[in-house]
Amino acid sequence: MTLDKARVPATKTDPGKELRLETMITPTRGRVWVDLLVIAAAFLLLVPIISTHRVTDFMIFCIFAMSFDLMYGYMGRLSFGHLLFLGTGAYCCGLFINYVSNNPLLAMLVGIAVACLLGMLLGLIIVRTTGACFALICLAFNQIGFFLVLSPLKGITNGEDGFGIQAASFWFLNPGSRASMFFVVLFCLLLVFYLLKRLTSSPYGILIRSIKEDETRVRFLGYNTYFYKWLTFVVAGVLAGLAGTLTALNYNFVNPNVMDVHSNVGVVFACLIGGAGNLYGAILGGVAYMMISNYLAIYIHRWEMFLGISLLIIVFRFRMGIWGSIKGILEYMRKPKQVQRPVEEEGV
Amino acid sequence: MPYTILYGFSIGAILYFISIGLSLTFGTMRVINFAHTLTYCIGVYMLITFTPLLKGNFIPSAALAILVVIPISYLIERFIIRRLYGESLDYTFIATFAITLMGVDTVKWIWGVNPHPFSDPIGTYLKVWDFTFPIYRVIIFIIAILLFLALELFFKKTIVGKIVVAALEDKDGVRCLGVKVDKYFAIMFILGSALAGLGGVLYAPISAIHPYMGLSVLLLAFAVVIVGGMGNLRGTFVAAFGLGMVMAITARYWSQGAETMVFIVMAIVLIFRPIDI
Repeated sequence: MTLDKARVPATKTDPGKELRLETMITPTRGRVWVDLLVIAAAFLLLVPIISTHRVTDFMIFCIFAMSFDLMYGYMGRLSFGHLLFLGTGAYCCGLFINYVSNNPLLAMLVGIAVACLLGMLLGLIIVRTTGACFALICLAFNQIGFFLVLSPLKGITNGEDGFGIQAASFWFLNPGSRASMFFVVLFCLLLVFYLLKRLTSSPYGILIRSIKEDETRVRFLGYNTYFYKWLTFVVAGVLAGLAGTLTALNYNFVNPNVMDVHSNVGVVFACLIGGAGNLYGAILGGVAYMMISNYLAIYIHRWEMFLGISLLIIVFRFRMGIWGSIKGILEYMRKPKQVQRPVEEEGV
Repeated sequence: MPYTILYGFSIGAILYFISIGLSLTFGTMRVINFAHTLTYCIGVYMLITFTPLLKGNFIPSAALAILVVIPISYLIERFIIRRLYGESLDYTFIATFAITLMGVDTVKWIWGVNPHPFSDPIGTYLKVWDFTFPIYRVIIFIIAILLFLALELFFKKTIVGKIVVAALEDKDGVRCLGVKVDKYFAIMFILGSALAGLGGVLYAPISAIHPYMGLSVLLLAFAVVIVGGMGNLRGTFVAAFGLGMVMAITARYWSQGAETMVFIVMAIVLIFRPIDI
């Protein structure tokens, strides 16, 4: 009897806590491979439906959306200037190919390194702010970057017209071939997904999610939140830079539109519609946004109106996003089984 | 150089008109209103619609344009902003940005994408010693000074102004006194939007008119509000004219760099005095 009594409260109170810890800490190593396979299969299935080139484009956007989600969904810092890093990656990659060496892999590394450096520098300043200030100062830096590319650096970036890239093929990476680019981008997407999955389910991931909930308390526990925020900012910048280099190689062309300030709303929309704070959500949202912007824009003439109305609906009625609602449905389907269990035990 | 100073003052005046509403909305309601310059843009488009109807009379058509802006801003306040009280800043940011997108699209729908020309309604020049100043810019500057004084009086003498100033300090305290704060916030919101409309109407003759004109000015207005301090009315005044002067002086030596310089100033201010929201 005493044992039973001890067991009953344990099962009643603990599950919530246990569940939360489980979902937060356990890396679920076995499942990551399944996820990677599912994502790869999904994108491969998309290829016959849409053209290869477009699917590559979708995947690059998904990488970008995931890097944005790390900062917005996980750390709770809304950036309205994340395209700055994508643009930096794209421009540095393109300029490196045109002026130094036409090795695409080296150019990618250079683009990512420059985005990383930029993130490290700007992070020192930007990370101090929160909320609206964070969004606005990111936006301001994006505007400065856009302006730099457009006007003072016109001599090498060719201003508004942009410039073409002639990259040689290197090993498996051949920017001229669509199939090669597809597999390279798919590999990068899976790599980024795996990395972010590991990062966000590690203690570091818990820490940045705690910063989202209440930064003062985390600081109270003795953590240097400033450093972790900076680190997240840099990681997000690096991944966005990777997406930028892939964009440059995929199009073989770079123009200032890659860091146009007003395009930032796209990634915010993608993250929200997919469900912020979840990597699957970011991927689903990225694909959904690209589908909408590529196909719906043909049929719906008032495209911005549609975007505005759907953003309003998301904010007021549909905050959990696509992934959130899928999860909700799954949990709803699971619930009856959990209710049945005690009934069976009673019968036994 | 006197031209540069005058240009700085007139740009500063326009920035002041626009950012005062933004600063008030933020200080009282804690809502970052991205839709603020929508009223600015709509005011301008109303002006170019009414001016031919009224046979080119600038002042009555400007007054009509501002009158049209008021119900629109009321609708935005009533149906969107009021539902965002107490929400996290991200959501208010996104929701108001969505309104901007819809508004800009509506403007494009009705008036088209192409820029509209609109000429200086006065067109005469003021001669002081050897310099000739366009009178219109001088008038804008004078209106800004008058508006600043009027607002100072409004916040010091009238009961509405006093309630708003008190609410800027402590919203809950004012509510505890039995004052319906939200009603006064709505009044402030409409006042701010009308002032943005006024700014647009005054700025239209000396700038290009296109559907996205609101967005570019909005960023400058945000910079003004951040440099001046959120909800700080005098700070906004000083920051608007300071940044206007920065823009004018930069534009004199390096015309493309004018707007970027404002953001650099804003970044420097944020580095040394970060704002916790």
